[in-house]
Amino acid sequence: MIAFASSVTKPAVYARCAEPGIGRCAEPDSEVVAEPATGSISHSYNALLDRFAGREDLEALVLLHQDTEIVDTDFCRRARQALSDPSVGVAGCVGAIGVKSIAWWEGSVTLSSFANRYEEYGGGELPGFSWDREEAPPYAQVGEVDTLDGFLLVLSPWTLRNIRFDEDLSEFHGYDLDFCLQVREAGRKVTTADFRAIHHRPLEMLPDVEPWVEAHIRVAEKWDGRIPGIGTAPGSWEERARRAEAERDAARTLAYTKKLELQARRLQVERALEDARGSISWRVTAPLRLLARR
Amino acid sequence: MTDPEAFRRYARPGIRMAAEEDSKIHAFAAVGSVCRSYNLLLDRAALEPGLEALVLVQQDVEILDPDFCRKVRRALDDPEVAVVGPVGATGVRTIAWWEGDISAAAPVQRYQRFGGGEIPAFSWKSHDPAPAEVEVVDGRLLVLSPWAVETLRFDESLSLGYGYELDLCLRARAAGRRVMTADLRVAYRTRSLKVLTDTDLWIEGHIQAAERLEGRLPEPPTAAGSWRERARRAEAEREAARTLAYSTEHQVDAQMAPLERALDELTESMSWRLSAPLRRLNRWRARRRGGA
Repeated sequence: MIAFASSVTKPAVYARCAEPGIGRCAEPDSEVVAEPATGSISHSYNALLDRFAGREDLEALVLLHQDTEIVDTDFCRRARQALSDPSVGVAGCVGAIGVKSIAWWEGSVTLSSFANRYEEYGGGELPGFSWDREEAPPYAQVGEVDTLDGFLLVLSPWTLRNIRFDEDLSEFHGYDLDFCLQVREAGRKVTTADFRAIHHRPLEMLPDVEPWVEAHIRVAEKWDGRIPGIGTAPGSWEERARRAEAERDAARTLAYTKKLELQARRLQVERALEDARGSISWRVTAPLRLLARR
Repeated sequence: MTDPEAFRRYARPGIRMAAEEDSKIHAFAAVGSVCRSYNLLLDRAALEPGLEALVLVQQDVEILDPDFCRKVRRALDDPEVAVVGPVGATGVRTIAWWEGDISAAAPVQRYQRFGGGEIPAFSWKSHDPAPAEVEVVDGRLLVLSPWAVETLRFDESLSLGYGYELDLCLRARAAGRRVMTADLRVAYRTRSLKVLTDTDLWIEGHIQAAERLEGRLPEPPTAAGSWRERARRAEAEREAARTLAYSTEHQVDAQMAPLERALDELTESMSWRLSAPLRRLNRWRARRRGGA
């Protein structure tokens, strides 16, 4: 039996996003649990894990955010395939290698089979590079990774019984990397799998920077020296501080450039629209467009 | 100057417009770093009898203010004022002085990309108007008092060319003088809208300046503690800043998408395509008129 579980802070979001996706792919014997969140996401998820840990008939537990919509109708088949190797502890559809921190997207992302559907600016969708399987770049591949994006995780029964989310780290951030590191430290694999989901979320990636920064520090301190690459960097602490402060300021300034470019691009397109709509030819053909609308 | 054409097109017209009859204009080829070149200019200006102010203008900065000299005199009326500029900031902790609270005299940025245009400079954040006392002014246009010309020099050990204005302003303030913004109207002329043209070099310049300015700038508020704690925090803030930059990029794309769709719909419409010969004819007539 494959179970689906969500921790819900906004029932309307769950009903609009996660529920239809689960309805699309759940099997007749699947259990679906949507529990109100209690405390941090780690605490809520651990409650869900505890709930299913004793189930002998469980093949996999699918943990998904309330704003995650599974797309594939044959998701369960794909999840079983991902867990067919008994050394796999957890699978997902977005993952990366060369990860050094909770900003796992700064590593080499090997699979990104999701689309970010947003409502701002009239709404739209930003597809990940392997969302369209036919158009995916050569580096898109299913396989072992350092970490997965926590918005959709498929846990093996072994993981369910042996690993728990760290409730001391943060309210929300970094729990996915920490969980994957625990799985790997215990000798199991973390892998990407060939299924897809829509993440219904705003474009703003870090609405609350300070808690994220704190989580970044805690995860780095926890794993430094335990898993290669995590929390480490070349140079002395002073050199690391100097370089990181410089790179931080450069990154902030890059965002300012983007804002300036937005103003310029907007001016350019508005100018082109104004020129086109003000042209004689556009005005001459106005009756034609009126006719077409009728 | 490193690009004489830029000087001819941007800096020179502004200087000529603003200069008075007895103004001296020194336009030299750059020698080594910006600090070395500026020090040469300071040495030369220091020899001028009756100097009221030295205005250091980068080649791609255009003065737009016909009243520039009167405003400079007014700003330097207070003998305590040593350095003046159209843009500056307080709460500065690194060479990225724009991370502080900006005071600015509504400068504009004229750019060539995206079909060319003009936008308010530093429009990515709100700022207070000039004049105001600040800790640093933007190095692209600096007005130095006779005391500053006589006494201060740029730190040539800042060999990568970043942070020189911050260093100079810190020296002026350490000597008990004031640094001010003034209502001087200027345009920054750029090809692109990049705030940093060479990010890798700027990062190295940031590190170099941070080491040179050690102890002269306030420590980060969160830096109390060891280098280890400071490094951990900076690395976290760096990743957050990068993520916010991606986020901004996504938002830019999302904001542009409806506008670009509207333009595509218009230019792909039947009536637009049907009227294409008319537009070609108009362009041909316009060219003929232009050539006549």
